[in-house]
Amino acid sequence: MSRYRIPIVIVVLVVFVVVGGILIFANQNAGGQNVTINVTVTGGAKMVPDTLKAHHNDTVTINVTSDTDGEVHLHGYDIHFDTKAGQVVTQTFKAANTGDFPIEWESTSTPLGHLVVS
Amino acid sequence: MPATGILLHGFGARYDLPASLALYLFAAGGVVVISFVLVVLFVGDQVGAKAIQYPRRAVPFLLPLARSRWPRLVGGTIGLLGLAAIIITGLFGAPDATRNPAEYLTWIYFWAATVILSGLVGNLWYLINPWAAIYDAFARFFISPPRGEVGPREQRAGRVGALTLSRVGIWPAVVAFFLFACLELTTGMANRPWLVGSLALLYSAVTLAGMYFFGRNEWLDHCEAFTVLFGIVGRFSPVEAERDDQGRITAVYLRPWGVGLLQPGPSGWDRVVFVILMLSTLAFDGIEGTRAWSDFTIATEPYWQPSGAFGFFLLKTLSMTLLTGAFLLIFIAFMEMVIYFGNRKLDLKATVSAFALTLVPIALVYNAAHNYSYVMVQSQGLIPLLNDPLAKGWHLLPALAGYKPSFALAQASTVWFAQIVLIVVGHVIAVYLSHLKAGEKFRTAQRVLLSQYPMLLLMVMYTMTSLWILAQPITAGG
Repeated sequence: MSRYRIPIVIVVLVVFVVVGGILIFANQNAGGQNVTINVTVTGGAKMVPDTLKAHHNDTVTINVTSDTDGEVHLHGYDIHFDTKAGQVVTQTFKAANTGDFPIEWESTSTPLGHLVVS
Repeated sequence: MPATGILLHGFGARYDLPASLALYLFAAGGVVVISFVLVVLFVGDQVGAKAIQYPRRAVPFLLPLARSRWPRLVGGTIGLLGLAAIIITGLFGAPDATRNPAEYLTWIYFWAATVILSGLVGNLWYLINPWAAIYDAFARFFISPPRGEVGPREQRAGRVGALTLSRVGIWPAVVAFFLFACLELTTGMANRPWLVGSLALLYSAVTLAGMYFFGRNEWLDHCEAFTVLFGIVGRFSPVEAERDDQGRITAVYLRPWGVGLLQPGPSGWDRVVFVILMLSTLAFDGIEGTRAWSDFTIATEPYWQPSGAFGFFLLKTLSMTLLTGAFLLIFIAFMEMVIYFGNRKLDLKATVSAFALTLVPIALVYNAAHNYSYVMVQSQGLIPLLNDPLAKGWHLLPALAGYKPSFALAQASTVWFAQIVLIVVGHVIAVYLSHLKAGEKFRTAQRVLLSQYPMLLLMVMYTMTSLWILAQPITAGG
């Protein structure tokens, strides 16, 4: 028995890794859609909605309306929205990277919400 | 709550997506099944000293390199340049952490990446320790041994008056490591470059003074937290060096990952607490980013809010201390059960010390899983800063100024796959080491097997906790 135990452990691990890989990589979301999200920022401190969602490879358009002049920063994608009070600022980009990306009011580093690309 | 920005770990945001419930259940189930398979396979194994003998292969072609001065010269230069960069850019660079190289070098390149690499390939700190490099360079030319001391400086026993550092074990290193963990995780100030630079300078002065007054190796082995830490991490690595009585390397071997942790070493509660701190601070780092922690801080707001940021620091420090205490008590309780089922009178301190090291693989792989995307993506943030490291408007390397981090190795599915594989492989190594250690300690195969049930339960619990943390949504302001 003892001579087979290392191969058995390796086989069990390989099966685990293969099944895990299939589970993970076969269930990726199909993106490629056009997604438009409208958000409103109040006082450089609050964003509605605070969680924006998209799928991998979607073309995402975010329209930001703020009651304050300033800058909204989408980390990870490093996209800046230079807001003017009452005006809509639009940025369009391809959601090429998956993850949970924070959105901040840049001047005060106040967390406003996040973009989840799955 | 005070505005803590997006601070997680020591500095910077994490972009990890939480693992799905299905993946969490799959990995958790896998851990239980694999643990069961291991237990069944281990029935009737060897006991006594033979149990901890492991295979290793001599690599004679590495011996001349290991004996030469070049690895330490090159490594020491890299370490010294890194330390100088942290101090200079920390004190004189941009106040914004994301635009200051000191933050990247300290929290990503040193603290996350060097630990992972040392576990993978060998104790890199031995080569790049900047304080050892400075001391050795000065000792060679300028420092004469104090009166009564003879022999190479590296081998002198350190003493000031009647105090000998060996009497205090590694408790000073435990305290230093705890303070470093506080800086990273509880002060909320790890993202202040001037503080990181100042503390690097202060720690350098303390370490060099300690090495001068107490002896180089005495100070490093007992008081310098990173030397102690990397010494433990290096035992996991596949490279083993054998030395003679004079400390000269006589042979270099390659061995399977993890088995170096089976080697007999000094025992003591100081060493147990150090290993437990490695586990608990890592766990706390993960817990800080979860929704559960966020809810807890909101629920306790009436108690700490009146003291503002200082109250929040106290809450976090107290929580981390309690978590460490809980880890320690749980570990000791499980070790009592191990000894009970092993049916042999053993010294608790020595047994706990020996088995504590078998938890190191779980901590290391969790560290690698937890920091995977942090090291893969955020580390690239340093590249554009090389163009203007002090934020003075320089254009030293204009080609790098517009560099954008690549996510090629950090898409969510890749991250999850790496995390799950790492955690399960680390769990298997830990269970295997623990079983071999039990074989050494207990007299019959049956007792060895019985003694391992509590340890197996503890390891499954710890691995499950690691998986649970990875499956939690990351919250801002952790």
